[in-house]
Amino acid sequence: MKPELPPELEASADLLTVGKVARLAAVSADTVRFYEKEDLLAPARKSAAGYRLYGSDTVRRLHFIKHAQDCGFSLAEVRELLTLRAAEDSCCTDVRSVAVHKKLLIESKIRTLQAMSQALSGLIARCDGGQLPLEACPILAALDASAPRRPAPRKAKAP
Amino acid sequence: MILVEIFSTPDCGKCAQAREALKAVVAGLEAVICREVNILDELDYAVDLGVLSPPAIAIDGELVFPTLPGAERLRQELMQRGARAL
Repeated sequence: MKPELPPELEASADLLTVGKVARLAAVSADTVRFYEKEDLLAPARKSAAGYRLYGSDTVRRLHFIKHAQDCGFSLAEVRELLTLRAAEDSCCTDVRSVAVHKKLLIESKIRTLQAMSQALSGLIARCDGGQLPLEACPILAALDASAPRRPAPRKAKAP
Repeated sequence: MILVEIFSTPDCGKCAQAREALKAVVAGLEAVICREVNILDELDYAVDLGVLSPPAIAIDGELVFPTLPGAERLRQELMQRGARAL
């Protein structure tokens, strides 16, 4: 276990310990360490005793990461967004492309989940909740039957 | 008539460049028409076809190129589907 931080370090206005940066960003210290391991952030420097010390901009960065994750971005995508944010030659259309790509993925997943939910509704509707022996279970029988047909692809729109 | 649909977002520089090159291919072929689809306006349709990463190309309602092909690759595909050079 590392020794207590010297008071002059605790009082530093510019650099924050992992605990303090985590408190300010409302995340756990483990989360900060995890993000660091994932190359999403880095300490400004280490103290002589080996403590990681973070700049005050790390709090903003942590908020950014959390917010992006709330929007469904994976850590790899968050890394891409952070890179775009820092790159001098990138512009907002680059960021927008990442967001559009993510939206398409999410909408596609929603479709898949809706189809699954519909299929489950169909299975549940087959069973009236009666106490039947397993071999008479209509849900298991339906799952045993041939694979469901996929819906036909939508026709192309007229130009 | 073969319908080529180019899925993109209007403000995407990469899309615009590719769009123009591919439109030139279509313009040089008979019996092919081209429609530009703004993904943000027709998101449901794009998702129906399985577009995940714009720009992408569908031919006759089928996502044939999930990522943009070169001009020659598109020309070959359209010729195979019955398009003729003008």
